[in-house]
Amino acid sequence: MLKSQTLRILLIGLAVVVAASFLPLGVSGYVLGLLTVAYYFGVFSMAWDLLFGFAGEVNFGPTFLIGTGAYTAGILDNLYGLPIWVCVLAGTLAAVVGGLILALPALRVRGPYFGLTTLVAVLMLQNFIVVDAGLTGGEIGLTVPDVLTISEVVNYQIALWFMAVSGAILFALSRSPVGLILQASGQDDVQAGALGFNVTKHKLFAFIISAFFSGLAGALLVFYFGSASIGTLIDVTVGVQIIIAAVLGGRRTILGAVLGAVFLIAMSEVLRPLGDLSNFTVFALALVVVLVFPNGFFGLLTRHKESV
Amino acid sequence: MKTQLWRVAPKFATYAAAAIFALAMASPGHAQSGPIKIGVIAEAQAVAGSSIPQAAQLAADEINASGGVNGQKIEIVSYDNHSSAAESVRAFQRAANEDHVNAVIASYISEVVLALEPWTGRLKTVMVTPGAASDVITQNIAKDYDHLKYTFHGYLTSTSIADLVCAAAKDLLATQLHLKSTVVMSEDAAWTTPLDAEYLKCLPEAGLKVLDHIRLSPDTTDFTPIFNKIEGQKPDVILTGISHVGVQPTVQWKQQEVPIPMFGISSQATNSSFWNDTNGAVEGVLYQAVSGPDVAVTPKTLPFVNAFKTKFGNFPSYAGYTAYDEVYYIADAIKRAGSTDPDKLVTAMEQTDWIGTIGRIQFKGKDTGNPHALKVGPDTITGLMLQWQNGKQVNLWPEKLANGKMKFPSFIKVGSAQ
Amino acid sequence: MLFWQILIDGFAVGSLYALGAMGFALIFGVSGVLNLSHGALMVAAVVAAWAAGNDLHVGPYAGAAIGVLVGLVASLVTYFAVVRPLQNSQKIREDEKEIFILTATLLWGIMIQELIAYFYTNNAKTVSPIVGGVINIAGVRTPANELFTAIVCWIVIGVLWLLVNRTRAGKAVLAASMNPRGVTLLGIELPQIYIAVWAIYGVLIGVAGVLLGMFLGVSSYSVGPLTASAFSIVVLGGLGSVSGALIAAYVVGYLETMTAYLISPAYRTIPALLLLVVVMYVRPRGLLGRR
Repeated sequence: MLKSQTLRILLIGLAVVVAASFLPLGVSGYVLGLLTVAYYFGVFSMAWDLLFGFAGEVNFGPTFLIGTGAYTAGILDNLYGLPIWVCVLAGTLAAVVGGLILALPALRVRGPYFGLTTLVAVLMLQNFIVVDAGLTGGEIGLTVPDVLTISEVVNYQIALWFMAVSGAILFALSRSPVGLILQASGQDDVQAGALGFNVTKHKLFAFIISAFFSGLAGALLVFYFGSASIGTLIDVTVGVQIIIAAVLGGRRTILGAVLGAVFLIAMSEVLRPLGDLSNFTVFALALVVVLVFPNGFFGLLTRHKESV
Repeated sequence: MKTQLWRVAPKFATYAAAAIFALAMASPGHAQSGPIKIGVIAEAQAVAGSSIPQAAQLAADEINASGGVNGQKIEIVSYDNHSSAAESVRAFQRAANEDHVNAVIASYISEVVLALEPWTGRLKTVMVTPGAASDVITQNIAKDYDHLKYTFHGYLTSTSIADLVCAAAKDLLATQLHLKSTVVMSEDAAWTTPLDAEYLKCLPEAGLKVLDHIRLSPDTTDFTPIFNKIEGQKPDVILTGISHVGVQPTVQWKQQEVPIPMFGISSQATNSSFWNDTNGAVEGVLYQAVSGPDVAVTPKTLPFVNAFKTKFGNFPSYAGYTAYDEVYYIADAIKRAGSTDPDKLVTAMEQTDWIGTIGRIQFKGKDTGNPHALKVGPDTITGLMLQWQNGKQVNLWPEKLANGKMKFPSFIKVGSAQ
Repeated sequence: MLFWQILIDGFAVGSLYALGAMGFALIFGVSGVLNLSHGALMVAAVVAAWAAGNDLHVGPYAGAAIGVLVGLVASLVTYFAVVRPLQNSQKIREDEKEIFILTATLLWGIMIQELIAYFYTNNAKTVSPIVGGVINIAGVRTPANELFTAIVCWIVIGVLWLLVNRTRAGKAVLAASMNPRGVTLLGIELPQIYIAVWAIYGVLIGVAGVLLGMFLGVSSYSVGPLTASAFSIVVLGGLGSVSGALIAAYVVGYLETMTAYLISPAYRTIPALLLLVVVMYVRPRGLLGRR
């Protein structure tokens, strides 16, 4: 029963992605560029949702994982000129290691304490990058010699299909028994433990998966932008955007996060005529959504079904 | 709730499609022919950046009023980058691919310009920066001329600025006040690395012994320990290299009554609002600039300042002067090239010889270490050295453009010689 | 000389941190809310005081009063417009309210930050000090304003102590911070306590903000670091413990000042962050935490 639903959603998702893959025929390169970034951010948000929505960990530091992946990949490319795929792979591995480091305190402390640990992790990474400017480019940012491609269409398709595959894996995972155990331990880990589940093992697993996709997306994004900087990848406000996208889309839905990410970028574009006030308006709208429709877009869609 | 998710998935698809459609609609169409378009990517919320689009617009209006270029009008397309490199890259892509601009004037932040530089080659679009200072921008051009030749450095490089500061320091500090030693205090940023290197080289030549060299984090809020450390070393003067910070060190310098004058680069001090921002604490601070109020560097300077003041109600920031000049010499280059083809435009830009508001604009050649950097010196750009006195910016150097005399607030003890 | 310098400087910085963080701790103790718009509210108070001096040309005292007033109003607006609707929401599960309040206050903080940048640019602002000049203490040329900052902080802390320990309303707040459910049994309405606490918080951040504006100055970039430092101090002191926050504020203030003087100003915040990580491993409930 559950399986067939999961399959059905995945099929519908696939239909949307296929439809989206024809967009380059109709829209301009600029819109493709925006969507490319939105898709990568969608992956960030989905990875965050897996940790928060399912494992129950309030992670303020998604950018710690992203930044670790992105900077590792960028620095390797810059120093040794390794092929892009090697750099991306190394960046992803580094992010997984980062995920394990982040997981250690999570096994000890919970709630706001863990949230703060993750925040500290971001600040430490930021400090490291600034202090070790010779290697990382410091506040200037790191410019990498290679990019994936300069074709907007190809970049768009890479981001789209990368997001689609990541989304499918994360979504299937969240619907699998592993996802259910995670959710149970996220709500009450003592009880989940009492029921005989190995909470620690499953949580570690969630951190590794989340770090894997965050790091991979971060590394790819570096080779899309051609540069990495604190302001684009690591700053706490970037993390906030990722969290907001996931909450807007609807927690515990994984796929909703993509909707939230596209919404955030689309809104800031639609509101561009407002000039300097556009950012303000985007955040104000996001706040209204959080206050009025706390279940996000997915919740909004399900609402009238619930009342039936 | 979750078991019903699948039923809404088609609806989700519709919403997603609608969102993407809305996005597609949001981007305006573009005209292929028509005016010459110059994109301006700037930091609208920062004082230095906010003058850039205004000054560019002023120049465009003036050019259009006198008939345009080759019969075409100039149109300025502005983008706010929120001081972010990523947003700048997005804006640059939009400018090149969507709005089809013929050239871009971008940012006063070196970090932003460095992030944009590879894109000028990738998208073959000429870019001039009105305010970034890092030497790396032009060093990159030297390394990969064929790809990066579209980037022009329309403001002084850090090394040139350091040389100009040293020249002023020699006349004002070493010769006039008989000062002998200094401590260099600069912020840790891209543009100060070459600045500091040049400071350490040219200050001793100017007669000032460098006792120490302090690089501070741009995040610093409490400068007390830094000033205390400097005071302990007993220099005659503090040589500054600050841009991202400005208000806080200046206010704390005054509040702690640090008895040592500050001299050098303090980008924020060039803004006319700086007196109010610091509640007057800037009294006595000396700072390098390429222009100043009531200083007729060239015959074009004061008319520009007055027109700007009339139109926008305040004085332009340093990047305003350069942005204004840039629109003019881009237009001039397009006129000479007879085309907006990027490669022809680059060739024409390289031959620029334009009297602007800050001096005579000429770019260094391909075979120098800094191609497309501005030439400096007595024949081209000398810069100024100004001092805040009673709420006014008074020019002290070079002597032929000076309109006041150096003086310091009472808590400052100037050298042993006085 | 260096010793005295660190002693005096660290004291002023610590006092400022204490004032900012105590309100933060109080709110968490009473209502379990971590207000991530903290830094933005403080910056709003500073910019208000600065703008009053510059645009309305009022004197330093009036400017400071306007700053504190704006802090108070901003705090109450935060409570009524953002926090209370979420606390009372039927749509959100109790165990998820925490993340909602965190997200919403973060958004609210960014909105305030954007508005400030829009109207007053990102440039740093400093409030004209009420007292100027310098005083020589043990060979250290100390700005009078620095002493003034420390004295005002301690007066406010003293008043707060009297309020909490000597008045009926204050005792109710204290009781609520120890056991929110318990006070309802005594016939005191929790919403009233909440309003009182947010008002106290507003005055505290207003005063702390204005003093910070006079002493060091702020810009809209300070929003994040101010929130982060209050958050770390409160966790270090033990979530919900006001006296813990007071002690932790001085620990952090001195640690930062010593690092800045003895190692390098560039590393200022790092040891405090490390200490925080260590404390959370060794004693997760903080210095004086109850849980």
